[in-house]
Amino acid sequence: MVLYKQFLLKTPLGLQRVPCVPSLRGPSELRARKEPNERGGKAEQKVQKVQKGQKELREKQYSFRSSVRACIGSFALVITTVSSVVAQDSAQEDECPQMDAKVQSLLQAMSRNSADIDYSGVVTLQRGSDMQIMRYSHSVSAGRATEAISRLTGQDARIVREAHPTARKYPGHELLRAEKAASGTLCGLTDHYRFRVREGDRIAGRDSVRLQVEPMDMYRYGYVLELDNESALMLRSTTMSVDQREIEQFQFASFDLNPGREEQAAVEHRAGNPHPQESSHLRTGPAWSVSWMPKGFMATDSAPPDSARKSYTDGFASFSVFMEPLNAAIKPGEGVERQGSTVCYTRGMVFGRVPVLLTVLGEIPTNTARMVADSVRMR
Amino acid sequence: MKKPVSNVGTQDEVRSVAEEALSALMDDESPELELRRLLKSGDSDPDLKQQWFRYNLARTAMHGEDITFDSDFAARVRAVIDADPEQQQFDQQGQNEPSERAGWIQSLGSFAVAATVACVVVIGGQQLASVDSENAESVARVAPIPVGVVNTTGAVPVQASFGTTALPALQPADRTAYRELARQRLRRFSQEHAEHASLNTPQGMLTFARVPLVTQELRDLNELREMRELREKREETRDEARDAGSQ
Repeated sequence: MVLYKQFLLKTPLGLQRVPCVPSLRGPSELRARKEPNERGGKAEQKVQKVQKGQKELREKQYSFRSSVRACIGSFALVITTVSSVVAQDSAQEDECPQMDAKVQSLLQAMSRNSADIDYSGVVTLQRGSDMQIMRYSHSVSAGRATEAISRLTGQDARIVREAHPTARKYPGHELLRAEKAASGTLCGLTDHYRFRVREGDRIAGRDSVRLQVEPMDMYRYGYVLELDNESALMLRSTTMSVDQREIEQFQFASFDLNPGREEQAAVEHRAGNPHPQESSHLRTGPAWSVSWMPKGFMATDSAPPDSARKSYTDGFASFSVFMEPLNAAIKPGEGVERQGSTVCYTRGMVFGRVPVLLTVLGEIPTNTARMVADSVRMR
Repeated sequence: MKKPVSNVGTQDEVRSVAEEALSALMDDESPELELRRLLKSGDSDPDLKQQWFRYNLARTAMHGEDITFDSDFAARVRAVIDADPEQQQFDQQGQNEPSERAGWIQSLGSFAVAATVACVVVIGGQQLASVDSENAESVARVAPIPVGVVNTTGAVPVQASFGTTALPALQPADRTAYRELARQRLRRFSQEHAEHASLNTPQGMLTFARVPLVTQELRDLNELREMRELREKREETRDEARDAGSQ
């Protein structure tokens, strides 16, 4: 009971698709749920509008500064900028029309609920002919989440992330929730992906809604996400290559909204809770930077210039760049290893005078990894 | 009398160790440090280099791929450069001319040599970025690295860029070596990447399923790496001391 209430309160989707749990749906309850949500939604929209307006205002002021200064007085300036903001505001809505309300609410619900709800299940990962099976569980108490994956095939290993603050905001999820526009753009995800909503398959005994996510350039993959009708949690995620091949698929084989059980394994990795602003870094020595990456990618954490690793995300995809100074010279060259949607591109080169191995690892096409590696510069 | 005997013994020992390592590498069982050492010793040991080439040849043949008899690519390119009368002329001039002019001619000569090298190696596609513009004068002296990248999306054609170090001596094996390096990097870094991917993509914790081998703690991995590097350094200094002592 508590569980359902919890996610319904936080799920915009829950408003549209009332769950099939009769005991929960009292009219008073519905009203109680509806109000804060609507207010929250409007307030959010308003904040976004104001932010957009402010940014526009700044740009406007900059570009027109000289001409305005020359011919109009300060009173006229105020009127001009205010009216331009109003005009720009409505123009903005036209420029970013792709993200319709349904897609927006689906993405927000998926992102929020994956952090806030208790659920568990058996998940398969299909990559080519290889299939791995694992048990996944996620539980929350007092704003802290515990998630765990236990591998059921292959290596006997378990990965646990404990006491993770659910309120902590990470760039990837902020992009999904449209709480933060990607750097240099105002529309965020809609600048790089096209979205379509369809009826989904029945997965793990549950009805789903299908969200097709198509990339607008060749620097990233596409996705087909099938989200649980009730909770918007991801039941199946398929990564599509540029030529529309399925290269990787996560799928729940069984899914239930119950707390997971405690398990044991030979190898237990405790996943960290790296803070997006204050995560710790292994320093390498040379200061470096990535001078090119596909539009819409942003750093997942504030890495110092000499960090051994820098990670980036566009909301759906992510990649990390690793810098390893070597203590011996190495022949320049490059190598690639691919597993499912993951690519590992390693290049040996001389960086300034230091021989280094540069590695780009992530769920991006090989060419993108190569171009990112090409753009790494000394600072 | 004893000295040369012991010396030969050490060399043989080193060789057999190197060959063993080579064999392990061909079986994809070589640790990464071993590979680095091997790359290094291949420079000074032409026999080892030849052996590596033979192993690769055998493996290529076993996989049913076409075999190109490219036993010493580096030497062949070098021969082309040395045989170039223009280059010889420039070399001689370079010694007599004032340095300012020599620099200019050198770069022109370099260009000619680059063209010669390009005739030997077929390169296609469009330049992605220059590797290092600071060392432009040494550009012509080197051959492009064959690229093992499959252009999957067709977005950007791939081209080998001119590096800045000496001619790669282990040309046929480099591709294998780098593939191996990439494989090892995937194994080593996947978990660290997943730490961040899991917090910033819709798949969340499930991204850890992509990690080939889960290790207890990330920190352990770094410590392990450092320990191995230290051990290698220690071994090197000990070897040097022993060599110095025996001579």
